Amino acid sequence: MLRRKFNLKISISFLLITVLSIPAFAQGWDVPEAQKSKNSNVVFDAGATKEGESVFTKNCVSCHGNPGKGNFMKTLTPPPPDLAGDKTHNLTDGELFYILNTGRGVMPSFKNILSETDRWKAIAFIRSFHKGYVQVVSKTDPEKSKLVKINVSFDEKSNKVTVDVKANEKTGVVALKETEVSLFAKRRFGNLQIEKSGRTDANGVISFNFPKELPGDKEGNVELIVKISNEAYGEVESQSKMKLGIPTDVPSLTKERSMFNVMKKAPWWILITYFSGISIVIGFFIYMLLNLKKLFDLGKK
Amino acid sequence: MSSNEEKPTKKSRRDFLQQIGVVGLGSVLGGSAIMAGINYDQKKKASDRVKILTAENELMEVEKSALSAVSKPKAEDLAYLQKHGREGLAGKRWVMVIDLSKCRNARKCMAACQDAHHLRPEQHHINVLKMQETKNTPAYYMPKPCQHCDNPPCVPVCPVDATFKRQDGIVLIDNERCIGCRFCVAACPYSSRIFNWSDPLHEEEDKDLVYNVELNVPQRKGTVSKCLFSADRLREEKLPYCVSACPNGVYYFGDENEDAVTNGTTKETVRFKKLLEDNGGYTLMPELGTKPRVYYLPPKGKEYPFQEKDKEEAAEHLG
Repeated sequence: MLRRKFNLKISISFLLITVLSIPAFAQGWDVPEAQKSKNSNVVFDAGATKEGESVFTKNCVSCHGNPGKGNFMKTLTPPPPDLAGDKTHNLTDGELFYILNTGRGVMPSFKNILSETDRWKAIAFIRSFHKGYVQVVSKTDPEKSKLVKINVSFDEKSNKVTVDVKANEKTGVVALKETEVSLFAKRRFGNLQIEKSGRTDANGVISFNFPKELPGDKEGNVELIVKISNEAYGEVESQSKMKLGIPTDVPSLTKERSMFNVMKKAPWWILITYFSGISIVIGFFIYMLLNLKKLFDLGKK
Repeated sequence: MSSNEEKPTKKSRRDFLQQIGVVGLGSVLGGSAIMAGINYDQKKKASDRVKILTAENELMEVEKSALSAVSKPKAEDLAYLQKHGREGLAGKRWVMVIDLSKCRNARKCMAACQDAHHLRPEQHHINVLKMQETKNTPAYYMPKPCQHCDNPPCVPVCPVDATFKRQDGIVLIDNERCIGCRFCVAACPYSSRIFNWSDPLHEEEDKDLVYNVELNVPQRKGTVSKCLFSADRLREEKLPYCVSACPNGVYYFGDENEDAVTNGTTKETVRFKKLLEDNGGYTLMPELGTKPRVYYLPPKGKEYPFQEKDKEEAAEHLG
């Protein structure tokens, strides 16, 4: 009896999952309504399209292929669509932007990889393949992002990085509450995210626990990058260098004496053996020559 | 006594001949230089002159021969490339992490690598192998580049100092020095070195290129070649060719000193040690003490089927 109930539960949940997921996959992406109507501040002109092409070539071509050419990666599941197709054409700019931001399954999120303008430029490039597309430029003021002031501070005791987001409006300084903040440490090939992104409190403040054992440079400096995303002010990024990592000064891998190193840094035992061997041979020759000279001199006498 | 008399005459004859030789050679050289000058003046045409725009925005006409003086001589370029290629980047220790659970044999890494290093289709700096350990264990794909060992067995066997290890951990080959003895090929336990048996792929196109030890281009017949961790790209803060070409997120690459590796596909940066710890990272043939700089994550929970056509090849050795 119990088992049948259990089976029933499983089958119902399975049915529900399939029923719910099929339309979700068929429609593609579950984009929130607020995001759908989002528009770009970047005007999709020839310049933006051209720059978008280089962004697209670096980040998207490997899977999606060149739009209209049908050379996308067919082996992936689900296969990535050709972005010149109708399916992509019918999506709003906001939906495309959301897809780029979040990613799903095999597709990575580009939110922390590309800047907001670069993401819009990539969309500009995709749109250049859609006949009859007319852009609606965003009504938000792009200049507003310049008013944002981001203050980053570090408390050594609690090992916390606090980010304070404010905007210098004409009416006075406004705290940006409910603003999404992400903290990164700059590394050679990308930015390492510190904890998860969070939202600021009523005072426009958020703090992150900074990992204790993150290596910095020789002095322990780490370059911090703060990215904020606000509905009214757009996306703003700030960089600062702080002494919150472990000072790292590791010797080079060729510093030690070893077999694989250049002759100057060969192990002592090999140098001693080699040079004593050589000097024994040369010494023997010199000794022989000296004796020959002795013989010669004796002969002269 | 007679020998004493001969000596001065011998000397003077030699001096005389020497003087004749010097004067003769000088006149021949001088003459040919004058002739060359006359010839050159006669040959000079409009096509020998080019228009150039100066930094001050003035359009000038210059003889083509005069232009060569601006560019650096080839030998100087080579010396520069050789020097910085040998030294490597200070304060870095490159590491690669290969996640076997994600590799589905797309072979884009191999294509990008062959394209960058001008390799023939049968030559591999990186190769995706089909692996199966025992009859009961599953088959999987394993990309295998050079392991850039910290204790490289291939380097000390080189008799001419052509292959070397740099301060940032990369093991390179200088094909200007390589004599093609292939001791290193025999010494490498990972079979990651290849030999240029035939003429290079782009022999004609690469003829005028200055040899870059960090790219190993132009390739040269009779020399050894191998994976270079894309040393030229790392200098520009770019990920290696194979890493950025992968569509499946197999590769992570980074600096061990920063404790961070970046995925070539998703560009996501994660902690290096944590990645190994969480996923049971390992190296190939650790018992040899070679200390590889390439780490592997086991093919646990892979999301793809091992292709039917590859099964036979993977199980070939199992009998």
